[in-house]
Amino acid sequence: MTTTAPVSQVSDVVLEELVQVLGSDHVLTNVTDRYARTRVPAPFPVHRWRDYVPDLVVMPGSTEEVAEVVRVANRHRVPVVPRDGGTGLTDGARPERRGIVIDVKRMDQIEEIDLQNRTCTVGVGINMLKLNEVLAAHNLIYPDDPASYPCSLVGGRIGTSGWSLIGSRFGHTRDLVLSFDFVLPTGRVIRVGDGGPKTSKSSSGYQLKHLFMGHQGTLGVATRATLKLFPKPEAEFSPFWAFTDFDSAYRTVQALAHAGVATFAGAVLFDEEKVAYLRRDDEAYIPQPGDVRSLVCSVAYGNEDEVRAGAKRLMRIARDHGARYLGDEISEGDWAARHDRYATPLHGRTRANQVVPMSWHCEDAAINWTQLPRVRQEWHRIVARIRERFDAFDDWGMFFYTSASTGVDYLTEIDVGIWEQQLSDEMWEAWVEAKRDIAGVALDAGGSISACHGSCREGEVDLVPTELGGGYDVMLKVKRALDPNNIMNPGKYGLDRAYGPSGDGAGTSETGKEVS
Amino acid sequence: MVYRYDEQATPPEAEQVTDVAISRYEDVYEVDPGLMVEHVNQQTFPNWDTLRIIDSRHDHLQWMHDHWAHTVISGEEVLRSLDEEPGS
Repeated sequence: MTTTAPVSQVSDVVLEELVQVLGSDHVLTNVTDRYARTRVPAPFPVHRWRDYVPDLVVMPGSTEEVAEVVRVANRHRVPVVPRDGGTGLTDGARPERRGIVIDVKRMDQIEEIDLQNRTCTVGVGINMLKLNEVLAAHNLIYPDDPASYPCSLVGGRIGTSGWSLIGSRFGHTRDLVLSFDFVLPTGRVIRVGDGGPKTSKSSSGYQLKHLFMGHQGTLGVATRATLKLFPKPEAEFSPFWAFTDFDSAYRTVQALAHAGVATFAGAVLFDEEKVAYLRRDDEAYIPQPGDVRSLVCSVAYGNEDEVRAGAKRLMRIARDHGARYLGDEISEGDWAARHDRYATPLHGRTRANQVVPMSWHCEDAAINWTQLPRVRQEWHRIVARIRERFDAFDDWGMFFYTSASTGVDYLTEIDVGIWEQQLSDEMWEAWVEAKRDIAGVALDAGGSISACHGSCREGEVDLVPTELGGGYDVMLKVKRALDPNNIMNPGKYGLDRAYGPSGDGAGTSETGKEVS
Repeated sequence: MVYRYDEQATPPEAEQVTDVAISRYEDVYEVDPGLMVEHVNQQTFPNWDTLRIIDSRHDHLQWMHDHWAHTVISGEEVLRSLDEEPGS
């Protein structure tokens, strides 16, 4: 990788103003600090990283400092990109136009733990695992559980409106975050939430909380959040079952979701390609007999007596559907590993079956259970086509995770290994086309392009207006109203069109009508 | 040092477990080195470090269970209780 970076577009005047706000220790201009914030974990051609190096990085320590930084940026029309861990998979934290990256990780304080109302108030730079280590002393837990659990931050979860592995029991980020302080693109600070700072349901006025979650940093910066807490579960039950065919596993996962078990926290279906992938490298699955073709796991959390009762019911359902229990060691080990999928050393295979280092590209969608087989077939076909052309891509199979306790829809995921160091521009273009096709299949099936990551990466982003329909025009109007100078994470979600082709404010909607 | 190197850097005989995996220690699997000759270089690896990584992994997984809940219910026990039910 080159060690040089593009010349800064940020003037000395801006730099001086930022230093006045934050002090020189918290305004980072050296190449290393900037390169460390050019990308997210999703694979991308290495030779193009330098196109996304921010001009500088700031590390504010409070809401007011964030607001001051944003005011400076807005005054000088400099792009601002919030970076809350940078663990997202849709390029939300990538600075498309360089400018200023706001890294929130200094804002990691626990300001209050309210034991009576079961809330805590934290800076958004705190990681959930670290928060839960403190909460455990009070026998409490904040159960937001992404695959990046040990490394993602509360602020990133707000910016993504993230999906949680155990959301079928406890809810997802949108349900767990009660309220937060939010810096708008003009530098104004507002508090958004479900009514009061610690209330969970309000019918007063517009419900703005969801608007300011999942925007991928295009509407502002969350700085301080109040979270809903639960008792730390007395017990966990996490059985894994094997099946000789996908169809049986497919029926079983929905039967588990339909069972109405109160402690049910989720179920996951592994397809045949996923099992084949695991059989190459995963210690739990290498020794499995050849007739193991598909898997289901389920998990329950809660009070021990309730989990035990629910466990019996879940186990009976699986047994009645022809499942073979994989045993405690595999079940418990694999479930524990699911909290930390970013730490997995990754490698794939060339078509000649040689091992190569590969990065993980995870494509996700929200799909109804009835559509899962169709989506599965079409997604594998898309990935097979690109693998036929390029050895840098490898199909690592699919997972289907319950999003809710009723089985209404599933986070549907195809994992693709990408040999990132080999990615040429031609390969990347082919992959972007494949991503567009993958998103198109999700929409044709009546689903959403993403249940978890967001959908502002190349390829998928082209179909967001299709998914949202007239709602996308509203998105453009909201963006232009709140960010008149298009400074907040510009270039994401196609929102530049709110400002017209020349960025002069004469915006047009997806349907060609004037926005304002 | 020579004594330690020879003894500890010579792994036990490998058993071919599947067409893509070998095993040198009980329940510890490795990618068949024959699949790692073109793009991934093989390294000399001390035996104790292999075992340390495996033990660390187990420690980590146990830590994660303790982090999320006080107790883990055994599926094998649940299955036995179902089998013992009348009529099963």
